[in-house]
Amino acid sequence: MKRSFGSNSSNNSSGSNKKTKKKATNSSNQKTLGVAWGAASSRSSFRSSPFSDFGSYMEVKNQKLQNQFETEASASASSHGVSDSEKLIFQGVSIFVDGFTIPSHQELRGYMMKYGGRFENYFSRRSVTHIICSNLPDSKVKNLRAFSRGLPVVKPSWIVDSISANRLLGWVPYQLDQLNDTQPKLSAFFAPRRHLAPQVALPVTSCQPETGYSETEEGSSIIAEDAEEARDHVDDETDGVYIENTTPEMTEETRTNDLQSSEVNAERLGNNDIEEKQVSSELQFTPNLLSASDNRSFHASGKHDGKSIAPTSGSSIRRHSTLEDPNFVENYFKNSRLHFIGTWRNRYRKRFHGSSNGLKCEDSGQSTAENAKKSTIIHIDLDSFFVSVVIRNRIELHDKPVAVCHSDNPKGTAEISSANYPARAYGVKAGMFVRHAKDLCPQLVIVPYNFEAYEEVADQFYDILHMHCRKIQAVSCDEAFLDVSDLKDVEPEFLASTIRKEILETTGCSASAGIGGTMLMARLATRVAKPAGQFNISAEKVDEFLDQLPVGSLPGVGSVLKEKLETQKIQTCGQLRLISKDSLQKDFGVKTGEMLWSYSRGLDHRSVTAVQESKSIGAEVNWGVRFRDQQDGHHFLQCLCKEVSLRLQGCEMIGRTFTLKIKKRKKDAEEPVKYMGCGDCDNLSRSITVPTATDDVEVLQRISKKLFGSFCLDVKEVRGVGLQVSKLDSADPSNKGSRTLTSWLSSAPASVHIGQDDSLFAANFRESSDCKRHVAGGVSRLRESNSAESSFQSGDTNSSLPPMCHLDMEVLENLPPELLSELDETYGKKLFELIEKKRGKRKINSNSPHVSSDGTACIKGPKSLSVTIYGLSTSREKVYEEPHVPHPSVARTSSERTIEITDLMPSSLSQVDVSVLQELPEELRAYVSGAFPAHRKQQSSSDAPMETCKKQDQEPSGTKDAENGIGFSYSSLWFGNPPLWVEIFKVSGNCILEKFSEIYYKMVQSRPILSSVLQHTISEIGSFHDASANYLDKAVYDVCELLKQYIKLKVEGDIEEIYLCFRLMKRLAARSQLFLQVYEILSPFLQASINEHYGGSLSIP
Amino acid sequence: MNPKDDNPSGEVARTLVEFLEVAITMIVFLKGFYPSAAFERRRYMNVVVQRARHPELRDYIHSAAFGLLPFIEKGLVERVAVIFFSEDSVPVERFIFKLTINPSCAASVEEGQLEFALRSFLIKLPVSKSLVKPLPQNCRWEVTAYLRSLPQVCSSKAEELWIPTDTKQWQKPPVITPVKSLNSEPLCLQLYVEHPSLSEPQPCQA
Repeated sequence: MKRSFGSNSSNNSSGSNKKTKKKATNSSNQKTLGVAWGAASSRSSFRSSPFSDFGSYMEVKNQKLQNQFETEASASASSHGVSDSEKLIFQGVSIFVDGFTIPSHQELRGYMMKYGGRFENYFSRRSVTHIICSNLPDSKVKNLRAFSRGLPVVKPSWIVDSISANRLLGWVPYQLDQLNDTQPKLSAFFAPRRHLAPQVALPVTSCQPETGYSETEEGSSIIAEDAEEARDHVDDETDGVYIENTTPEMTEETRTNDLQSSEVNAERLGNNDIEEKQVSSELQFTPNLLSASDNRSFHASGKHDGKSIAPTSGSSIRRHSTLEDPNFVENYFKNSRLHFIGTWRNRYRKRFHGSSNGLKCEDSGQSTAENAKKSTIIHIDLDSFFVSVVIRNRIELHDKPVAVCHSDNPKGTAEISSANYPARAYGVKAGMFVRHAKDLCPQLVIVPYNFEAYEEVADQFYDILHMHCRKIQAVSCDEAFLDVSDLKDVEPEFLASTIRKEILETTGCSASAGIGGTMLMARLATRVAKPAGQFNISAEKVDEFLDQLPVGSLPGVGSVLKEKLETQKIQTCGQLRLISKDSLQKDFGVKTGEMLWSYSRGLDHRSVTAVQESKSIGAEVNWGVRFRDQQDGHHFLQCLCKEVSLRLQGCEMIGRTFTLKIKKRKKDAEEPVKYMGCGDCDNLSRSITVPTATDDVEVLQRISKKLFGSFCLDVKEVRGVGLQVSKLDSADPSNKGSRTLTSWLSSAPASVHIGQDDSLFAANFRESSDCKRHVAGGVSRLRESNSAESSFQSGDTNSSLPPMCHLDMEVLENLPPELLSELDETYGKKLFELIEKKRGKRKINSNSPHVSSDGTACIKGPKSLSVTIYGLSTSREKVYEEPHVPHPSVARTSSERTIEITDLMPSSLSQVDVSVLQELPEELRAYVSGAFPAHRKQQSSSDAPMETCKKQDQEPSGTKDAENGIGFSYSSLWFGNPPLWVEIFKVSGNCILEKFSEIYYKMVQSRPILSSVLQHTISEIGSFHDASANYLDKAVYDVCELLKQYIKLKVEGDIEEIYLCFRLMKRLAARSQLFLQVYEILSPFLQASINEHYGGSLSIP
Repeated sequence: MNPKDDNPSGEVARTLVEFLEVAITMIVFLKGFYPSAAFERRRYMNVVVQRARHPELRDYIHSAAFGLLPFIEKGLVERVAVIFFSEDSVPVERFIFKLTINPSCAASVEEGQLEFALRSFLIKLPVSKSLVKPLPQNCRWEVTAYLRSLPQVCSSKAEELWIPTDTKQWQKPPVITPVKSLNSEPLCLQLYVEHPSLSEPQPCQA
């Protein structure tokens, strides 16, 4: 009896729930009992027990278990000498362990005991807060709500990780993967079953810097999610605070929200006043921002990250992290010295590239090997560049100790980035906290950076160098190698002093020079020469010089290596020279050994070469990075992408490989000593290569978000993010124009820049060889024609009109007549003809648009309309792809013209995104759903979202964001069990579709995949008689939508299934007009999706 | 206390390379690249598979697969391709294993489950002969791995065995025929065949 009861209730079929509900405790899961306590009770013992019924028995039993637990807990607490250190991190958490777990449920119980949580032996909705399990039987997954009763189902690693993090982590990342399977990327904030969990972290409205915008971005970042984006656009539009912008390419991105504008402005190329200011200030910094940095310099930034700080030091100190400052990334780079150094190189390259670099490259190429022996190299370095530039006009400071630091706040927690020689005499060093420096030298003067002055001086510096020598290797803005071997007629020492004198006169800063036979020796010589001197190490003096040189002063020998060497009793280069190359290589590795060996002999095989093309361009932020939730992370990523995109554009480069680097707090790492630093971190990195090089910010954002997602980590742990673009190509100037949508549109299709996000789809479609029909839907077209629209309207020059074959008939037809005739004129009266022609050949879909007029309402637009446009076979096989616009943009267009479209409701509920609907306020929802013509019962198919509505209404923007972020709604037809489509098809009125759903129900136990449904359809339906034309369109649309969502769902992981489905579809197409249309509509879409993911097309025999 | 410490994704990776070794052999056998006498029947995961008799061939496949292990463990490998190409290094046919290992949930995986899933590949492969095209004369084959990012400095001997490939790429996106897809928790694996597209001019687009 027990056994059966246990299994019964663990299944939690609704029947047994009802039965047990009246009883005091909902018991469940006998398994646990068996393992935990031994199978103590048997039926007979129960019978003889003093309890009147099972319910009261369980009540008492639970009470007993609880008491036991508490006693044990307090016992263990006292025996461990209660730990102030061991926080009670699980306070308020009460877990129920289901099934086999690692660690075992006994261990979990122990943890809960130790860390203040509770452990329930029997499931009860009232006392349990989290269900812990490693896997679930299929039946439970299917019937999750019945099983979990809305509680979060979490993997045991949540507990383990929480303990090691010594705080309660969010359980969302630890949600059982099985559940995610059914709904990939299920939103952390939107999942219906979790709404009751106590710590659902709904974002606070006030920290929503970019509601509408980020939605758009996020939408676009999920590959092939045109449907979702289409909806986003509707969102945008219906948000009520949308202000139309006449600049076409800005249309999507511009949305002004009065409440949030102050925070929003950093986000967008905005167009309101505040934003303009922002933009202009951005532009001022373009010299910095628009520049690239190579790998190396950013590795450096990894090492001594964060010598920069947000400028708003006056304001709240919390602005110094990503948490509080929406403009963080921008400010970060504006104020970063390392960024300046890093990006300086690109500036240099641009400046001097044209003049002499070409020659130099060749020269240095030849001279590399042969001339190595007799070469003479001068190394020139400005003395304490960052300080002396700032104080060059402040004579009163010249002999005072001065240090440069981003802030001089009294706390002295900022790090000194550079100190002048008088300050160094006191022991003040770079990297020191101001506080410590002031201890050493109380009269120390702290000055801020002056980046403009740095640039000016660096330019002057290099101007002088280039006057004297052609072979220059710029090391940094203040440091360069000159190869003067060819300049036989000038004495190097004389040359060096001339250069130094000129530098001092021009810039007001002193320089030091070292002369040597190799770059190494020159550099070492400079060290002796400093400050404001010069030193020559001639070939015969090399050994003598090196003999006493401590190993630590060799470049490339850091503290670690130095220590290692010292343990071998090697302190000077002289001692180092006594060791053979082999044993050095054995001890220190091939490269390091080689380096030590040759450096200790003064050898250096490098030659003076011009600045090399950067191999990669990127940006990395390791300071002040703190995210509260997923959204912060994504926001930050977007900013970072913008920065990187700007840098790419600054270098006129486009790249194919994108590497995202994450610094993740080590599990046991403490909060770093340095304020907002990154501390002890694990470095993770992933990269992705796309077929076409790009610098488009949206592509970057999409890719980086994907990469970020692939790390599967808790955003709270992230301490640094870097994005690098490699496999660089120079951006072809001819491509340049195509970066903006407008120019892309107005240019001939041949010049389409495929790498561009928005155009990707459309372009792919065009490429796919046999797309004779038009594929409906898709945001690319939505956008495309959006901007097409606006470009008409903003009265752009006629020359930029898209070719007529690019016009979307759907849009045209829905334009108000006066507008249409206006357009017609611009096209020389041919437009009407075209429309007529098309109309004749096409069945017009009756789907009407569906934008609710309310400010906050958003109803999913028809992601696609099932209109097939038969190729207007003008010539040969040339087939036009018509950019196709779902209605929202029409609505927008019209509203721009203040012409009202009244009939905005979709003709059928199937076009309505239920999740969106459920987000609406109560009365609005009632109103909207009341407006639907027929069969509106499906909307209640999942009642859970409804429950969450209230909560979410309070923070509508937050939820929308979150929802988008994880892509909940895009698979909505496949959401639920049975999936939503089954319900919709059931009442569709079309016999084929009804058959679909019937077949599904027959097999519902096995959760059939689509291919098996199709398979059965083929075998069960002998002949298809197609419905009348009206119904046909509707059915075609429904099936298309279904398959499209299915493709999106499966394209990443299971093309086999897609392949099967489409082969079956093809067979069906031979027998039914419906499927023929569907097949033809979907093939291009399918191929585009496949192409995006696999770089090829699917063969469907 | 923490099961993640003993690197469970390593277990998955090991199973995977073992599987790859078998699968690559199967593909080579399937293509009839060598006379069928060069193979012998063996049993792996309770399925009849082929194994190369020639020690060098066996060794090549083995080292190729196991050379991938460190990369797979690091999650670097995106695709493993068995490429058959003609004399002039132009690929004729490519068998692609596209794989994703999700290390975060590898903890709970059981060896048996994974093997069960992988077995379906080995069952499907021998019956996929109809998909493949006959090979031209004098062709060669190689195993190529596509990594997500270039690996850092080689740290072990096994890694050094891999060299950059010089096989040419197709100009046009290939035509894909899926063979088998596996979408399970720690491991997503898809096998598909790529053929060069019929190089007809693109209709609308240059």
